[in-house]
Amino acid sequence: MKTTFAVAAVAAFVAVSGPAHADNMVFSSWGGTTQDAQKAAWASPFTEKTGITVVQDGPTDYGKLKAMVEAGQVTWDVVDVEGDYAAQAGKNGQLEKLDFSVIDKSKLDPRFVTDYSVGSFYYSFVIGCNADAVSACPKTWADLFDTAKFPGKRTFYKWSAPGVIEAALLADGVAADKLYPLDLDRAFKKLDTIKSDIVWWSGGAQSQQLLASAEAPFGSIWNGRMTALAASGIKTETSWEQNITAADSLVVPKGSPNVEAAMKFIAMATSAEPQAALAKATGYAPINVDSAKLMDPETAKTLPDQQTASQVNADMNYWADNRDAIGEKWYAWQAK
Amino acid sequence: MSTYSDASGAIAPLPKVRRATGFGGVLPALAFVTIFFIAPVAVLLLRSVLEPVPGFGNYAQLIGSATYLKIFANTFIVSGLVTVISLLIGFPVAWALAIMPRRLTSVIFAILLLSMWTNLLARTYAWMVLLQRTGLINKMLIGMGLIDKPLALVNNLTGVTIGMTYIMLPFIILPLYGVIRKIDPSTLQAAALCGANRWQCLTRVLLPLAMPGMAAGALMVFVMSLGYFVTPSLLGGTANMMLAELIAQFVQSLVNWGMGGAAALVLLVVTLSLYAVQLRFVGNQNPGGR
Repeated sequence: MKTTFAVAAVAAFVAVSGPAHADNMVFSSWGGTTQDAQKAAWASPFTEKTGITVVQDGPTDYGKLKAMVEAGQVTWDVVDVEGDYAAQAGKNGQLEKLDFSVIDKSKLDPRFVTDYSVGSFYYSFVIGCNADAVSACPKTWADLFDTAKFPGKRTFYKWSAPGVIEAALLADGVAADKLYPLDLDRAFKKLDTIKSDIVWWSGGAQSQQLLASAEAPFGSIWNGRMTALAASGIKTETSWEQNITAADSLVVPKGSPNVEAAMKFIAMATSAEPQAALAKATGYAPINVDSAKLMDPETAKTLPDQQTASQVNADMNYWADNRDAIGEKWYAWQAK
Repeated sequence: MSTYSDASGAIAPLPKVRRATGFGGVLPALAFVTIFFIAPVAVLLLRSVLEPVPGFGNYAQLIGSATYLKIFANTFIVSGLVTVISLLIGFPVAWALAIMPRRLTSVIFAILLLSMWTNLLARTYAWMVLLQRTGLINKMLIGMGLIDKPLALVNNLTGVTIGMTYIMLPFIILPLYGVIRKIDPSTLQAAALCGANRWQCLTRVLLPLAMPGMAAGALMVFVMSLGYFVTPSLLGGTANMMLAELIAQFVQSLVNWGMGGAAALVLLVVTLSLYAVQLRFVGNQNPGGR
């Protein structure tokens, strides 16, 4: 009964999109410079090699993805999603199992491989700073939470996702290997101490704007955005101290009409060269362990995979299991 | 005679044909409304009472949580503020437009429409750049020596109100302009001749006559504000989150459609009841009505 209604609701969307042909497939990602880079580094060589056209779509929208799967009218074949969402959707039966006879996982960073997903690229929340605007840049998460030593506004990611809660706990002295299960009460208590000094960013471009204009001269930023900011001529400082990593993942929605092409596409996207090309273009790290060798050492140095000594892994499985509960508390705390 | 019978013969079947095309014309519209409005709303309603478990748990959770109640309150406070300020600014503008020379009117209309056609996101970002602590407005005020510390104009209620009012102004100016233009200037002259002062002319003649336009514009702005997403999300702080943001969180990020559906339905019911109230209100104000 429910499905029938859902079909009606999605009918319009599907009618417009039409069924995908066998010789093309649809890739959905988040748009912007990252998707441009994915198109250049992955889709173009894939089409050249296989003759399969890759139609770009997006932005990724979990609500839309769920609607497609439930209605049995899937128009996306490969989707770039966040790691914790991939873990959750896999468990909820919304994704196709990946075919590891096509995708070679022996060279992929095992932190980002599950039965239903492989990493797309991986990023770190780092402590970014506009060095022109302040006399000293914070180096650690504790610094970023220290308004006496570092007065002024600081910026953090607005949504409930791995990163900010971990940063608060690390700042409060929790050891990196004792983060999970997350002590939410302790994290919110720590966040309370700087709440009035936080300016939230909800998208990557906004985080750059806040830093560049010195509206919030420092904060917790995706490392790729710091690379881009440095390239734009602003004097920046990035601290990799306890950089918190999470990965985007590639998944195939259950019922995708082009599963075979999708597997081939993922195999290509995660192979060494396309991963290196994407890393060069975005400043995010490759998940293929052979990619670093293909890059010039200067570029490779700026990526999260060279910062593993001080790296903290956000636990995607923990987040997948607790997404809803954390989200509820997160928005309740924000709205207070 | 034959001409007459011919004519009568041609006229006789007309009403039948008219009725047939009339009904046929309504069918596609009905189908459209069913597919694009009623069916999705029905799905939403079903989901809100079926997921994750059947019952009214989602509604109980919405009403029982202080957080969600605060978000409802925020939504109404911001929408109310935006409506009142839009009216206060929009009325004089519409009045000026109605009485100024034609050529000037078209220039101002062109500016109004251009601003409406500019991408919403671009306009919102522009306000962000203008209003922030290191932005143009604060720099100017500091440069003029009026303040010595930047004002907090954005990421709070002030920012949302300014941004949303700016975007809503055309929606209140246009209907008001239409109504004010239709007011016969001689009614004001007559009032003045009968001894009304300027204030009485405004409150007892002009405002009552403009009331349908004010009500229509205010309702439009209020209802549009209730569902606003982009501007509050970018210019507001987290403490004044509005309902649309909450729904987006439920649907897109948390994939909790039960709660998202419940919140969306509450918004829909509130909007429709306001509309019903408004219809009555405008009906009473319209002297020719009913």
